[in-house]
Parts: sequence; C-alpha cells; structure tokens
Amino acid sequence: MKQSVVAFALAILFVFPVIAADPAPIQPPPASGPATGLADLAALRATVFGTPPQDIAPLPEKVPLLEMDLALPWARPVPAVFWFDRRLRVWFSAQDKPAPLAIVIAGTGGDGNTAKLSVLRAVLYGAGYHVLTMPSPTFPGFIVSASSTGVAGDLVQDGRDLYAAIQQIIAHLPRKVRVTDIDILGYSLGGANAAMVKSIDAAERKVNIHRALMINPPVSLFASVGRLDKLYAITLGLGDAGVERFYQQLYAALANLYRTSDRVELDEDFLLGAAAAILKTNAEFSAAIALTFRIALINMFFAGDLYSGSGIVVDPRHPPNVGDSLEETFRILRGKPFSEYFSKVFAPYYLRRRPNSTVDELNAESRLEFIGAALRSDPDYYAQTNSDDLILDAAELDWLKRTFGARIQIYDHGGHLGNLGDRQQVADMLDMLGGRWKGSAQ
Amino acid sequence: MRTTAPVIMLLLALGGCASQEVRYRYLPPDTPAADNAVNLEKALGLAAQVASAAKSAMPETTGEFAPITPADAPPLTTYDPWAHFNRSMYRFNARFDEAVFLPVANGYRRLPSPIRAGVHNFFGNLAEVDSVVNYTLQGRLGRGLRSLGRFAINSTLGLGGLFDVAEKLNIPRAPTGFGTTLAKWGMHPGPYLVIPFYGPSTLREGIGLAGDYGTSYAVNVANLYRDGQSWGLGVLNAVDQRANVDFRYYASGSPFEYDTIRFLYVRKLLIEDAGLHRKEPPKRVNPDAPAGE
Repeated sequence: MKQSVVAFALAILFVFPVIAADPAPIQPPPASGPATGLADLAALRATVFGTPPQDIAPLPEKVPLLEMDLALPWARPVPAVFWFDRRLRVWFSAQDKPAPLAIVIAGTGGDGNTAKLSVLRAVLYGAGYHVLTMPSPTFPGFIVSASSTGVAGDLVQDGRDLYAAIQQIIAHLPRKVRVTDIDILGYSLGGANAAMVKSIDAAERKVNIHRALMINPPVSLFASVGRLDKLYAITLGLGDAGVERFYQQLYAALANLYRTSDRVELDEDFLLGAAAAILKTNAEFSAAIALTFRIALINMFFAGDLYSGSGIVVDPRHPPNVGDSLEETFRILRGKPFSEYFSKVFAPYYLRRRPNSTVDELNAESRLEFIGAALRSDPDYYAQTNSDDLILDAAELDWLKRTFGARIQIYDHGGHLGNLGDRQQVADMLDMLGGRWKGSAQ
Repeated sequence: MRTTAPVIMLLLALGGCASQEVRYRYLPPDTPAADNAVNLEKALGLAAQVASAAKSAMPETTGEFAPITPADAPPLTTYDPWAHFNRSMYRFNARFDEAVFLPVANGYRRLPSPIRAGVHNFFGNLAEVDSVVNYTLQGRLGRGLRSLGRFAINSTLGLGGLFDVAEKLNIPRAPTGFGTTLAKWGMHPGPYLVIPFYGPSTLREGIGLAGDYGTSYAVNVANLYRDGQSWGLGVLNAVDQRANVDFRYYASGSPFEYDTIRFLYVRKLLIEDAGLHRKEPPKRVNPDAPAGE
C-alpha cells in the first residue's frame, strides 16, 4: 500500500503531461457522459490512497516468491532502447501441496509485481492457491518480450499474446508444483484481459481455465481512457504553460512542507505525509488520477510508435540507440492524450494489418460486449465493481449488471480499485473463485 | 584472490548471463502481515502528526522563513553536461546490480532479521562520527551533540553499536554528511553524475562521499578503516545498504527511466537544500539555467 502512495506522490510531482490540441483524423469512440459525475470526494480519495491498512483482509505471515524470466520464441527483435525488456518477467508463489492456480493480471501499464498484485497474491496464497502474477499486456516489458505486434490495446490480440505466454509459463513452472485447477483474474484492464483469455481458452482448451473474475473492469477500453483524457483536460487544462504552472505549484507545496518539517532527509515517509497534506479537493484528486493514468500510457505509446513505424515520436529510419537522449521524445509524449495513440498509431496499424476491417470493428474488439454472449451464459465468469467507479458511466454499469446478473457484486463505495484488498472484497472474491458464491446479497 | 573476484564479477555484469529459455530466481519471501502492521502504525502516526500540527505549529517553523513560491521552483530541465557518460554508467550499474549486487543482497536478506538489524545499526553508529564532524562544520551544534550522544550511548549500552538504544530513548537517527555541509556552505548540486557501482549523484554529492570516507578514514574508529578488515567491512556496508533500498533497475520497463530518476533525484536534492536554508529567503532561480547548475 505504502508503495503505491509513494509512487503516486512521485508521479504527481514529477511527470508533467500536456494536452495536445491538434485534431485527430480518426476519432476514438466518444466518451459518453462524464463518469466523474458519479464520483464524489470519497470515491476520488479511495482511488488515490487505496484501502487503508486497518481495512485490509487478514494476510499470511509469509509468501514464498519465485521470479521467472522467460525468453519467448515468438518475441520480435528487441529495439536497442528496450535492451532490458528482452525477457518476460513474472512472479510465482507455490504451495507445498497440490493446489489450484490463480493467475492474476495487472492493470494498465502495470508490471507483474505491483502493490495491488502483492495484496491479491497475499490473500490468494493465504487461501490456498498457487499464485502467478503477470504484467499487463500494456506494460513495456510485456510489449517487448511477449507481444506479437508491439502495438498494445487490442483486447483480442492482447488476449492471444497473454494466452500464449501463460501456456509457456505453466509449462515451465517448477517441477514439484502440482496444479489441481486453474482460475484467472485481474484488476482494471487486467480484468478485461482475464475474461478474454478465458474465452479464448474455452475454444482452444490448451490451459483449461475454470473460473474468471474481473475486478473493476472497463466495459469499453477506449471509452474509459477517453474519460480519463477528458478528466485531465478539465483539471489540468491545456498547453505548456498549464503544465509548468502545475509543476511549480507542486514543487513549492512540497518544498514548504519539507521546510516546516524537522527532517534531514526527504524520504518515503515524508512523501506519504505530503501526499495527504497536498491533496484535498476534488480537483486535486482528479488531477492526480488523470496524471497517474497518463504516465502509465507513455511507454505503451512510445513502444507502439516504434514497433509500428508510425513515426509520431520516433523516426522509423533512425530509431534511438542505447546512449541517446530521450528527453525530447519524453517531452513530446507527455503532451499526447490517449486519443492520439488510438488515431495515429493503433488504428492505422491494425487497419493495415487487416485490410478488410473497419475502425468500428477495432472499437468493437475493445469492448467487453465482444465476448458478451459468453459473459451472459457461462456461469464461470464473475465480476466485482463499485457504483462510484470513475472509469464507468451509468450505462456501462447497467450493462455489467444485466450481463452478469447474480454473478456480479457492486459495492457502494471504493471508486476505482479503492477497496481492493478490503475484507468484504476479498471474502467475496474467494467465494467467487472457489465456486461458493450464492449471488449478491445486497 | 583479492583482484580476481571483482574481475569475475565485472565480466558477469558486463556480459550478462548466458541465455536460457527460463531463468529462476528464488527471492526472500514476502511478509504481508508484518508489512501491513508497519503500514498501519505509520498511518496512525501520520494521523497523530496531522492532528498535533493542527493544534500548535512547531516552534521551529513559525514565521522564521519566507515561504517558497511557485516562481522559486527550478526549471523542468536538469543540468546534465556529462549525459553520455552518465547514460552508459546507468546501464553498467543496472547490469552489475542485476548480475551481482542484487543477488548478493537478496541472499543477505535471508539472514535472520535480528542479525541484519545488528549490522545495520553497527554501520549507522559508525556513521555518527561523520555526522558529528559535519554538523559541526555546518554550524548546527545542537544536532552535532545529539549525534555525539547517540554515538556514546549506542557504542556502550548498545554493545558497540549493534543495538540502537538511543532510538528507544527518543533520540532518532538523523545522519548528515559532507555533501550536505557543502550545500549548507552554498554550493549548488552541480552536474548530474552517475557514479559507478553507486548510482545517481551530482558532482557535489560525489565530493561529499569522498569527504565522508576521508573523515571516517582519518578518525579511524577502533582501527576499522585500516588493513584487511576494512575491505570486508566496506563490502558488508555496501550489501547492507543495498538490502535496505527497495529499488530494482528497470522495474519500470521504461526507456525513460534514466530521465525520470535524474529528475527525481535532483529535485529531491534541491528541496533538501531549501530545507537547509530554511531561515533565509528562497534563492531566486535563473530560468535559463537547468536545475542543479
């Protein structure tokens, strides 16, 4: 938990995106309705700070940890600037007796060992699962080592890449590990990824995934991200001046806090306190959320541009080399909203690859409705979300309710992932994965 | 023997490991229950801090300094004239860490925690000597006396520094060094500098490190800084420090990691510098000079 707050505090202070205002030739689906209208201060606060330590479900004393680095046979040639991302890195915690395996996928931009994954790993291990935690297919380390395209964000393509990687990982688990059953889950975008992997497996039967659980998933990937772009534009404004001003304000706030403290070093504990002191209003929390999300997308944008040869920030004829400065590239990228990734990198690439497809079809593949039939009829799909989750609008929340029926639990509060790891969320999650779920009580 | 081991380590670091399909690395286990208990304690401490701060502003802080305004923030760019060297050194350090330093630190973290705490306290106690000298040079005699007191208490009651008794007596650690002394004397951080094996720094902080070592060497507590044992102690000190830093090179997976770390590091230094001069009006920034110059 602490980690995430610190990461966040660093993030708000140290990355300064700018909204680029030039119109895009292909528009992503419009973000219908400001979902943030649903979110009150409590939801925003929960989203930023996560579950407070006193509300966390009981945790085990010790969880063994094995780091696995895999070289995957289908990986594409590694660009020089990504030399460190050659191998897919995942984390595995083994029970010492036969047990079911839970595969857990991170949210947008997350590696396979985020603070949220650590919490899920701990409670699942404590409940008797072998646990495998994996990066998001939007994490640069996954894009470089495991993506067959290098252009992330297509739920179907990402699902196929994940599915192939999972098969390799399972084949290489330590020999003494005995797996009795396999479930898959993920939070945020990772939830949508998990459901997609199960639906692919239902056809191909190479892994035999039993149950799938989505925690705070988007219903339409591009609509959710568009909403966060919009939130960013509203709270942080447009143009370079706005960004610089925001940085200067944060710097001054942090420096003054530090000067009034009695500390000799600016350490993690100080940042933890500073975040609590600096962020107070709806606008401040919203800006922080929008910013954190934007940061998560910068690497994916860069990798996609490089692999597809789109030439938005990287000249495909002169790709950057190891010792080269990427300062200017970073400065340009932090100003790019996600809609530009969709319109200038993602859509042109996939339209080229699939000559007969349309932008509408690409959009369709980024919606859960793409596997809606399975989600409605297969009793082994489950979901958990919050009625104040700011990545959803009312229509999407309603779609989730109708699609999952009794197999979804919707909590009143928590914002986006702000109740992950709390007692009720964990108890319900374990009931769902264990096949003991009796339907939502409330 | 003394020379071959480092050479092998270097070759390993530079060459990377032989490529295999899958590499396994068993890490020290997670301890979620204990970690959450620590988080809870900190959260409660934080709440208490906020409450007491609201009641009465700390005496040290009232009206003695002009507040820093947004106009005093350093520019977004960072002074890095040696970027080419620094970038290759960052890469070297990442490889060395992955191949040698981190595995050794992870092995060390498997030792029982009382032993590790003892080692950590021992080196922390030795560092008090340097703190006493530098607080004196900075003209902060009260803090210097506190460090001296800590050294005296922990060296005796704390059995040669293995136990931090002073902490329990409510005299917490507050180390300082020659880099901070130079900052107090008005020296700017200077060019960003990635030091081989060590990591992010600036010219000033690099000089500070050399000064700290020189001070320890000159004082030479218990003759620890001479002869054979000084090498062993140096390595153990480095391993202890690495084991206590929760950082993994390229965990971000990002090609912008060098830029991000540089940015963070120099802003952290500048904020700490501002804290050192808390009783003076903020320094005016030159908007044309990159941060740190």
